[in-house]
Amino acid sequence: MANLTLENIKKSFGVVEVIPGVDLEINDGEFVVFVGPSGCGKSTLLRMIAGLEDVSDGDIRIDSASVVNTPAADRGVAMVFQSYALYPHMTVRENLSFGLENIRMAKPEIARRVSDAAQLLQIEQLLERRPKQLSGGQRQRVAIGRAITRDPKIFLFDEPLSNLDAELRVLMRIEITKLHERLGNTMIYVTHDQIEAMTMADKIVVLRKGVIEQVGAPLDLYNNPRNIFVAGFIGSPRMNFIEGSLVRTDAGHVAFEAEGLQPLPLPDADPSLGARERVTLGVRPEDFVISREAGAGWPVAVGVAEQYGASSYLHCTLKGEIPVLIHEAGQSLAKRGDVLHIAPRGKQYHLFDADGLAIGR
Amino acid sequence: MSARSQFAAATGTIAALPARLIEPLMYGLQRLVGIKRMPWVFLIPNLTAVVLFALLPVFINIFYSVSGSDRLFPWDRPLIGGANYATLFDCGNYLDPSTCSRDLFWRALGNTTVFVPIQVTVMIGVALITALCLNREIRGRGFFRGIFFFPVMLSPVVVALMWQWILQRNGALNGLMGAVGLTPVNWLVFPNTAFFWSVFITVWAHMGFYTIILLAGLQAIPRDVYEAARMDSASPWRSFTKITLPLLKPVLLVVFILAVIRSVQTFDELYVLTGGGPGSATMLMVQYIYEVGFASQPRNFGLAAAASLLLGLALLIFTAIQMRISRGGAND
Repeated sequence: MANLTLENIKKSFGVVEVIPGVDLEINDGEFVVFVGPSGCGKSTLLRMIAGLEDVSDGDIRIDSASVVNTPAADRGVAMVFQSYALYPHMTVRENLSFGLENIRMAKPEIARRVSDAAQLLQIEQLLERRPKQLSGGQRQRVAIGRAITRDPKIFLFDEPLSNLDAELRVLMRIEITKLHERLGNTMIYVTHDQIEAMTMADKIVVLRKGVIEQVGAPLDLYNNPRNIFVAGFIGSPRMNFIEGSLVRTDAGHVAFEAEGLQPLPLPDADPSLGARERVTLGVRPEDFVISREAGAGWPVAVGVAEQYGASSYLHCTLKGEIPVLIHEAGQSLAKRGDVLHIAPRGKQYHLFDADGLAIGR
Repeated sequence: MSARSQFAAATGTIAALPARLIEPLMYGLQRLVGIKRMPWVFLIPNLTAVVLFALLPVFINIFYSVSGSDRLFPWDRPLIGGANYATLFDCGNYLDPSTCSRDLFWRALGNTTVFVPIQVTVMIGVALITALCLNREIRGRGFFRGIFFFPVMLSPVVVALMWQWILQRNGALNGLMGAVGLTPVNWLVFPNTAFFWSVFITVWAHMGFYTIILLAGLQAIPRDVYEAARMDSASPWRSFTKITLPLLKPVLLVVFILAVIRSVQTFDELYVLTGGGPGSATMLMVQYIYEVGFASQPRNFGLAAAASLLLGLALLIFTAIQMRISRGGAND
């Protein structure tokens, strides 16, 4: 159980600065997910917390004690690697107990911890096997088991599910979440999969180019993205973006205008917004009101209608070849070539300025 | 079409020419022998070489070992059964070579049984340490890899002559020692120092080869396994004994077998460097075989063949035992 503080953490490889400075506070027992596109520095950040990578500058504190000069093994953290990194020549039992033998723990205590972890992860019947004889999911469990036996203050997961097939990934996702509920430890989880981030995290940290773009609860990020990057990264399928400008209508309302399209009134927009050039309108696929009648918004032509059964996704194009993805609950009647009329539902839209920052609505 | 693509097209056409010429011939062959036997057609050149230069000599050797006289051609040689083997084993006391009718055989055998374990152990030890060093992120890694591999490319005779130049009485080493005020030593005249330098030079000359194999083995061990061990509080020594060595075991086994075979075969460097001397202090088995068969009059091909077959048999048994012992670890 531990708090973790990152204070102005920097990392450079030679002249390449991969993390220009990160500040972050992680509370005891939180499940925090670092998410971002590949190369955003999330794994590097995790490895610095683990002690596998030196910190170029800044401080890492666990329970308010600085650990930057503490060896990896003594930080009270355990890591689950993307490749599992199991010892191929050791049995599962030996894999689980190796770390404990290294610190000369008493044999009965080792046996107890190994059997507890095996029981928790339901790998008791695999204890005498070697990693090669296990499936991907089983190896994953062993890797998690190895972390559990060390009874760490903080668990670190480095893209642990990326080598599993889609079905298993969903199962393990739920298992890790349950594990967190049971153990109650602080967990830090790195992924590039925003669905994992959304479903598992108490707190999501969105990273881009070594910089934290936003920190918050999953739905907080989903509903109130601070900038256009977070808006586009969180949510699947991603948010639609349409570039244009804000104008004031004769009635004093705010409307969004894009080239070749009629001005779209934004009914509940803050009147103080005023007219602005270069604004991006963001609308999530599920936040459109769809109508077949003209005059009820922007006309779009349906390109492909994907039927998922319980819901449908319509890949459409606005005038000016702007692609728009629309989610329709249930089974859609729309076909290729149909023309629909769309408008954001109520206040369910986002506005971003020329720098990509969210504009208050 | 650019000049470069024209050139490429032309070389392509030329390169394809032999294939085109040979194509009808191959079709004809295939019709003749049937498609199932075609793989054998392709294997024939290689098989011929193996039969002519490896299998046939083994059988000829067996025949020589059971036939007598100094005649070269097998049809001139009378069969004498196990007489050659009996001569080799004719001993008053097996622990005292001077009581044997062929005392040099037993002395060479004794030297070989001391030389091989020492040379192989030292060589693998040094090669492993070198490989471990070269596997680290050090400056000039490529340069050092080249340096350590360099002696492997030298001809054994060059190696021997070079070291002779260093070790002889008025050689470079003694010159150096004299310069710093040490008493020069006649390195190759005393049995112990001659034996020491025999081991040293053969290790120096061959170690690069095993270093490269071990280095490849080390590089095949994933980095994150070491990182996991680091997180698991493993000290560098524990990482080495519990991770590196077990994972390197299959490679070590190959290196060990190759090194033993090579070590038993040691001949050329020592023959040029010490000639087996002083006395017979550095005479190993292969040199004995050479001397009995070719360097002494009358040439005793039969006795040399018998000795070489015994040596081959010993190596075969050794390798089989080694494979058997390590099968468990290497395969799982």
